Amino acid sequence: MSVIFLLIAASTVVALVFLGLFVRAVRSGQFDDDRSPAVRMLNDHAPAPRAAEAPSTNETTDR
Amino acid sequence: MPALCSVERETLTKVTCYHCGDACAEEHRVHDGKDFCCHGCEVVYDLLQESGLCDYYDLSQQPGVKQRASADEQRLELFDLPEVRERVVEFSEDGITRVRFHIPQMHCSSCIWLLENLHRIESAVIRSRVSFTDKELSITFRETRLPLPALVKLLRRIGYGPQITAGGKRDAGAQVPRMLYVRLGVAGFIFGNTMLFSFPEYLGADGEAGLRTGFQWLSALFSVPVVFFLSTDYFRSAWAGIRSRQVNIDQPIALGIAALWLRSLADVIGGTGPGYFDSLAGLLFFLLIGKWYQAHTYRALRFDRALEDFLPLIVLRKQGDAEEPVRVSDLRPGDRIVVRDQELVPVDAVLLSAEAHIDNSFITGEPLPVRKQAGDTIKAGGRQRGALIELEVLRGFADSRLKRLWAEQAAGGERPAMPRLIDQVARRFTIAVLFIALGAGLFWWGKDPAQIWPVVTAVLIVACPCALALSMPFAYGHTVRLLGKRGLFLRDAEVVERLSGIDTVLFDKTGTLTAREAHEVHWHGDRLSRKERSLLRALARNSTHPLSAVVAEELARGEAGATAATVTDAAETAGQGIAGVVDGMPARIGASGFCGGEEAQRTNGEAHVHIALGGIHRGHFTIRKRARGGMAEAVAELRRSMRVGLVTGDAQLDSGLSETFAGAPVRTRCSPADKSAAVQAEQAGGHRVLMVGDGLNDAGALAQSDVGITVTETSAALTPASDAIMDAGALHRLPGFLALTRKARRIVIASLFISLCYNVTGVSFAVAGLMTPLIAAILMPLSSVSVVGFVTVAVMLATRRTDASHAPL
Repeated sequence: MSVIFLLIAASTVVALVFLGLFVRAVRSGQFDDDRSPAVRMLNDHAPAPRAAEAPSTNETTDR
Repeated sequence: MPALCSVERETLTKVTCYHCGDACAEEHRVHDGKDFCCHGCEVVYDLLQESGLCDYYDLSQQPGVKQRASADEQRLELFDLPEVRERVVEFSEDGITRVRFHIPQMHCSSCIWLLENLHRIESAVIRSRVSFTDKELSITFRETRLPLPALVKLLRRIGYGPQITAGGKRDAGAQVPRMLYVRLGVAGFIFGNTMLFSFPEYLGADGEAGLRTGFQWLSALFSVPVVFFLSTDYFRSAWAGIRSRQVNIDQPIALGIAALWLRSLADVIGGTGPGYFDSLAGLLFFLLIGKWYQAHTYRALRFDRALEDFLPLIVLRKQGDAEEPVRVSDLRPGDRIVVRDQELVPVDAVLLSAEAHIDNSFITGEPLPVRKQAGDTIKAGGRQRGALIELEVLRGFADSRLKRLWAEQAAGGERPAMPRLIDQVARRFTIAVLFIALGAGLFWWGKDPAQIWPVVTAVLIVACPCALALSMPFAYGHTVRLLGKRGLFLRDAEVVERLSGIDTVLFDKTGTLTAREAHEVHWHGDRLSRKERSLLRALARNSTHPLSAVVAEELARGEAGATAATVTDAAETAGQGIAGVVDGMPARIGASGFCGGEEAQRTNGEAHVHIALGGIHRGHFTIRKRARGGMAEAVAELRRSMRVGLVTGDAQLDSGLSETFAGAPVRTRCSPADKSAAVQAEQAGGHRVLMVGDGLNDAGALAQSDVGITVTETSAALTPASDAIMDAGALHRLPGFLALTRKARRIVIASLFISLCYNVTGVSFAVAGLMTPLIAAILMPLSSVSVVGFVTVAVMLATRRTDASHAPL
């Protein structure tokens, strides 16, 4: 049964890693705005129109 | 003889603008098969069309912002000034700059989409990101190719001009502090794991003794951050309460936490039991959820504003012929300043230009501008409508009337304290718990002294008012959210409780009960032909008098797209009216004498505009400010259950309103200080006063009242400090809102009873010495979850019933 100790230790470490990731996510501001990311995700797939392509080629020449 | 008076009303098929959704009343343009209300909206549409951004219109219906000149907008060149740059620029290096703007106009998913696709309109924009909760936009762009003023201009062209005022930089800190999220995460982690460690105990598995003690010690280890990291707020608040000799809800909680932890530690160290670490972690987890729920309020709305937030940061001062930008606070008496159309006059000043039309709606709520002539004093806070004017500063900013008004508000009398229900309950609760613990201790002293410690700690543990502490955040938190959906935005959950105790409502009149820009216009006289209406409209457009705009709008009703007639020889006589020749027909609009008519019978608060065509008096328009729809019914309903009064700066009431308020306490000719005193007088009579106002002249009364609600027509408007902000369209639902807050309070009381039942059950186990960790682990989450569930369902049902029995949205 002492293998349980090993398993518990392993699972606690894994859980601690996730806790650390969560804290990092909070610190980086991921929880500051809870509305726009949800909308952004739905919007992004809009096809890039022709009008926007012309200036973007300019931009590459700029570089 | 024809009928002397025929009231003419035309029904208008409602055409709304494809871009902004406003009715196309004044102007109606058809472009690309779509309807637009003004040139501005059309231009934005074209711009988006060219850039292939018309998805904007698919995401939400009519998402645009009407192109209206706004006084909050600064002149573009000001964005080159270091003071302004310092405000908005976050980072600038190698020609790449990041700025952060506050854009209160954003309101829907289309806005987010458009603002994040700025790079498609302007290739110099590298990236733009919206933070919707803060209504902020951060843009990274190549400043070498697009100067900051040009970027601002672009934003204005699409209707999202950034707002920059003299107030301090908005605090970037989120209202739900990040620390709370971290605590919540840690609490969840510890709660889950400690429950896992307690499984052998739950199952009663005999297993190996070493395994069980191992788990117990692990739980004990994990409980350290629970007490020393998660619970610090409760200990601090409890200690603050003790020092100020007050009982608050955090004291029994802190007592419970301490008892739980010490008892559990003693059990584990002494090897007498597994302790209650799982209950402890669960307790904190639930408490923190309650805190988090309560912290979620309307972050984008600002309930506390400094005067500087209302004023432009920079004004233009004239030095000889040159104009130089200067901070408002640096203006000195004798300086000459220039104020353009739609700009706010920031200090008391004397008019140098020939005439000005000053709109004081920001101060009083009165939308019709007042005409001022050269030499007149213009008080700070007025907004110029029309041509550019020049002014000489009379008093510096610190001495201006506006500043004094504001100071009065800030210094206003002490608002009477209203004890929180939860703290009142907590006081009795704590005393009762201490007595029971003492009684149980004495009982076991005589019977079995070894049982004193376990029993007394068990009593303190189960008595921990977790459910009690949760019921209020959830009940009021739900109410805040449901009210927000219906147009009333509360500062925080505590306002719900204060609203529930209101027994007196005082209204401001202008701008609150009457709509800011809506007028009721009736025509008295012979019917005008379409041609005549169009002639008169053309003439009225030439006039700068505010009433002319109202008349022109009325004449344009239902005649969208009609061609305008040409006006020649238009001449305006101050205080009389305008005369001119329209398409060869001499026409006059103005006072009765000016148009050759007779003065008609006038009722209170009514204005008359007479019309003459071809030298013959044709009749007059009566113009009355329109009360908001449904207000008469709403006030009548309020009057059935509470005192309702009116405080107004005007001398008289309009006829419609005086019927509504017949027999109610009405105070007229009130200065801002009088309004505040009126509230104080009601409070002195033992009443709990709700003040509903809008302008800065109500600010003192709003601050003095038990609850102050500011009514506003646009979400971007600047409102004085108050406890709640209400969408003007929802004002007629006020009786329903008040009823809902009273129900919410009753729900809290009911939920307190439920949680008390759990406590009584738990305490009876504890006193009998039967309190096992398993019972605690079941009882504690069960009570919390059932109280939260009950409160949620009850508030939802109450809202549904209120919606059904009160005026619809």
